[in-house]
Amino acid sequence: MWTIFGYLLSGLIFWGGVGYAADRWLGTSYLTLIGLLVGMGGALYLVWLRFGRE
Amino acid sequence: MLALVRSGAEGEGFVPPSTKDFELPPIFGENPYTTKPIFLVFLSVILISVFFIAASRKAAIVPSKLQFAGESVYAFVRNDLAKDVIGHEFLRFVPYLFTLFTFILVNNLFGIIPLIQFPTMSHVGFAYVLAMFTFFVFHYVGVRKHGLYKYIKEIMFMPGVPKAAYILITPLEILTFFLVRPLTLSLRLFANMFAGHLLLLVFILGGEHLAQGAIGLKLVSPFAFGIGIVLTFFEFMVQCLQAYIFTLLTALYIAGALADEH
Amino acid sequence: MEGTLNLVGFGLAAIGPGIATGLIFAAYINGVARQPEARSVLQPIAFLGFALAEALALFGLVLAFVL
Repeated sequence: MWTIFGYLLSGLIFWGGVGYAADRWLGTSYLTLIGLLVGMGGALYLVWLRFGRE
Repeated sequence: MLALVRSGAEGEGFVPPSTKDFELPPIFGENPYTTKPIFLVFLSVILISVFFIAASRKAAIVPSKLQFAGESVYAFVRNDLAKDVIGHEFLRFVPYLFTLFTFILVNNLFGIIPLIQFPTMSHVGFAYVLAMFTFFVFHYVGVRKHGLYKYIKEIMFMPGVPKAAYILITPLEILTFFLVRPLTLSLRLFANMFAGHLLLLVFILGGEHLAQGAIGLKLVSPFAFGIGIVLTFFEFMVQCLQAYIFTLLTALYIAGALADEH
Repeated sequence: MEGTLNLVGFGLAAIGPGIATGLIFAAYINGVARQPEARSVLQPIAFLGFALAEALALFGLVLAFVL
């Protein structure tokens, strides 16, 4: 259960961080949100890989 | 004696408990290495050693009460934590898990023992160090078991995934294994102890302040003390639970590093 | 009083996932209690549901800091 929490957290941190950096670099404001969504999707995919398929 | 109790209580009126209550001044002069938490760590080591040496010295087949207490703690860590989680190689890790469990448990319980009443782990540095020990232990175990290359490869590239998804997933795996795991491990312990101590301070100090107020407030203050006492028992539960969770997660991480294939 | 309204918003946003997590595990425990051999079938599903609910809570947490 805490493993899932860790995956979700790191997904949001990493891809959200990438989006935030891209925002700062390009001067836009929507890339953070896209990064967060991508990170959440990736983390959920990872959780599904670890726990969902048997 | 002021160094041993609360330091932020000067001034007029009610001073709500804050993070200042955790910054205890040094006991001996200006030396910053002689604060209360440091002494509590040494005290906990002495207490644990004395207890378990006394419990195991006159070991008999029909155990005394002391021996029974010591052995039941040991059996709990060995059977319920190590054996069930790690599996057939568990015996190597029992000493580490046992030390971790008793150390964290005693240091947490300092939060509610009268006259001590300060959980050591509410200073985040101690929790960081414990999490770093766990971090090194489970990575070392994994590298020894699989070899460095294969271990890293197993973390980074999960089998049976389309190649394009690795761009999405590999950073998350690396971040989870090397940063988020030790960080959440230490912060969970720290935050629980910190918040619990703050909660007790709010009710006890609030009750004390209410008792000095007008007559109507005096009538309310026993309730504040009562809730404080109830919360003390609640804290006892939380402290045992946090020691258990920390040890359980350490065992889980070791088991994950030992596992062959996912 | 200091602070930002974001934290109040996060507090409100955390109610939903909290209830959701409770419901998921309540159903999981119910299922395992009725039929213990179904545990290995139910566990991945319960954990996936937990992950989905928890993702929303964490999303709220991150947005409370970012916005």
